[in-house]
Amino acid sequence: MTAVSPDARRIWTAARGPVLIGAVILLAAVVIALLRGSGEGGALDPRSFRPEGSHAVADLLEQNGVRVELTDNASSVDGATLFVPQPNLIDPERLADLSRRASATVLLAPATGVARLEPETRQPGCPLADRAGAATMGGFVYEGELRCYDSTLVRTGTVTTIGYGGIFTNRDIDSEGNAALALSLLGQHERLVWYVPSAADRSQQKSLTDLVPDGWKFAALQLGIAVVLIALWRARRLGRVVPEPLPVVVRAAETVEGRARLYRRSHAASHAASVLRQATRDRLAPLLGVPPGEDPSEEIARRTSRPAAAVRSLLYDTGPVDDRGLVALAAELDAVENEVRKG
Amino acid sequence: MALTGRAGLLALVGVLVVGLVLPSWQGILVVFAVLLACVAVDLSLAAGVRRLTFSRAGAISVRTGEPCAVQLTVHNPGRRLRGVLRDGWAPSAGVVDDRVAVDVPAGGSRVLSFELRPVRRGDRVSDRVTVRSYGPLGVAARQGSHVVPWTVRALPPFHSRRHLPPLLERLRELDGRRASLIRGAGTEFDSLRAYVIGDDVRSIDWRASARSSDVVVRTWRPERDRQVTIVVDTARTSAARVDGALGGLPRLDTSMDAALLLSALASQARDQVDFLAFSHKVRASVPRATLPVLVQAMAPLEAELVEFDARAAVAEVLRRSGRRSLVVLLTSLEPSVEHGLLPLLPALASRHHLLIASVADPAVHAMAAGRGDLEAVYSAAAAERTLAERRRLTALLARHGVDVVDALPDDLPRALADRYLSLKAAGKL
Repeated sequence: MTAVSPDARRIWTAARGPVLIGAVILLAAVVIALLRGSGEGGALDPRSFRPEGSHAVADLLEQNGVRVELTDNASSVDGATLFVPQPNLIDPERLADLSRRASATVLLAPATGVARLEPETRQPGCPLADRAGAATMGGFVYEGELRCYDSTLVRTGTVTTIGYGGIFTNRDIDSEGNAALALSLLGQHERLVWYVPSAADRSQQKSLTDLVPDGWKFAALQLGIAVVLIALWRARRLGRVVPEPLPVVVRAAETVEGRARLYRRSHAASHAASVLRQATRDRLAPLLGVPPGEDPSEEIARRTSRPAAAVRSLLYDTGPVDDRGLVALAAELDAVENEVRKG
Repeated sequence: MALTGRAGLLALVGVLVVGLVLPSWQGILVVFAVLLACVAVDLSLAAGVRRLTFSRAGAISVRTGEPCAVQLTVHNPGRRLRGVLRDGWAPSAGVVDDRVAVDVPAGGSRVLSFELRPVRRGDRVSDRVTVRSYGPLGVAARQGSHVVPWTVRALPPFHSRRHLPPLLERLRELDGRRASLIRGAGTEFDSLRAYVIGDDVRSIDWRASARSSDVVVRTWRPERDRQVTIVVDTARTSAARVDGALGGLPRLDTSMDAALLLSALASQARDQVDFLAFSHKVRASVPRATLPVLVQAMAPLEAELVEFDARAAVAEVLRRSGRRSLVVLLTSLEPSVEHGLLPLLPALASRHHLLIASVADPAVHAMAAGRGDLEAVYSAAAAERTLAERRRLTALLARHGVDVVDALPDDLPRALADRYLSLKAAGKL
């Protein structure tokens, strides 16, 4: 038989290498993801150990018997404290609805502030935070029924608005009365819902994909399948590519070019000049009937109007030593040769 | 297996079905199932490729650049085969159209003919024959390959054969067989004949005239049955590419062209040609070469990246030719000749006349004429240095009694043949 198409065994033999490599890569990805799974997170993330994270606050709350629930959709907030570190990312209607349902709500720096203050140690000046005492406060100033810390902490009903989140971070939790203030704000009830909205939750209004009818979505999927099949049709080659056994071929003038570059790099103007002079002498000697190796200057001077001494100096001197002189010399040698050929 | 455009088309029709009739996962599944069923039907009903048998016939050698045909016979023992077949050859084999539609009835055979026009000298080997066999629906196909070996030898193109007619004309003049103002000259005694007015009086044979009533002259003719040994250097310097009228060719190809012209001429002159290709060992050897044998021997030669072993080459030449002969060495005048070949010349020159033909590089001549800016002048100096080196080598070789032909690639074959004729006329063979 002359058939050389692969059978199942040969396909497996050829494919097991790539399959093994793929499996190893997948395994490595899983292991790395598992190892790096914890300790990550951004600012005011109760899992984060970084200075701007909030693991310390969450830990303190847990020690005081408050259950901290980190969530990205806040579906059940009834009877709990709702803490919203980024209220600006949430639809105002939804936020209002949530704070109505929650027993207490803490909003961090919503966009309703009326002025700005630099964060610094401030006195409470209100009964709400007397136990905590001085704390690092600042940020935005708000309007409200109960105002503390120069109006950077206000409470209206069950909703507390705070202008600056420094007191919740790992970095500042241990200074002044920050920890006490944070605990009093977030530990009002046994459950704390720590609401960090995710991208999916953020857009409560309908997205483009929601507006497209279902039929189109499935049709697009089917179109993708069709594209894959067409790609497979075009990608399948009719037999393997046949390589061309090319002979070893080098450009013959390459060594000469290499030598020219060497001359140039080492500025071997004098050497190049002597080579050019020798070449001109060798070319002119047979034209003038001078035996090779003998001085053709006299004969050249006789045929052209140039003085013999000048011709001899052109043909036999050493130098020039610089590059510009070399170019001039080459032109001069050419001129003499042309005159001899014409005359 | 292979899919066809119809599979893609079917999936596109499926877009309408899914979009308008069944906009759900079920719809996609249904379309996919239909597609899968079509593919399965096609694959199971398509003729098997594995059991096909193949055989080849046709051209086994062709001159490079000229067309030839290779036939491929497909025998199909199974059910009817409809599909497309590709005969794989390397690009330099110059297959005009390597894929054809095939329709072979069950148990039948088909002969397919492929036209080849090799663009490069050497053995062009066929690769795999691949068949794609479509099923009845034309949605999917079985595909497989077979190895059906065949080799077409692309012979050297022998471009310089256009020089042959004028050279043969000169040869006939030399021979005296053609009426011309110049009397045939040679060094070999041919015959005696009666004097006619116009003959050179110096050729009168007085001794014969004394015995005869007429004045008798001797006639001469060029020597015949002399031996010409052509040695082509296939070592590293022959790999260098030199630009000529036919584009950049390795020196080796120009050398071969010159060798072919010389051997064609020499065999017309009834001299015996021995051909030898040598790098560090004998690569090809054709004693008593005729042109057809010679092109066959030259076709697969490629340049090797080794140093030319002059000592071994000279030893081989001395071993092969017992009597005095003209040894033509086609190589390149590089400085290495001085160390390699020069010390061996006395041994060779004592028994043979050596003629070295070398391919000059037009690029170097162009560089030597370069003027204007600094780079051009430095290039000119480097080129002049190379040319001076070649002139020095030529003079050195001439002092050892070696003839040197150093010509550009387009001129070399003619120049070498001319030199051969002038040597023959001078009776130096």
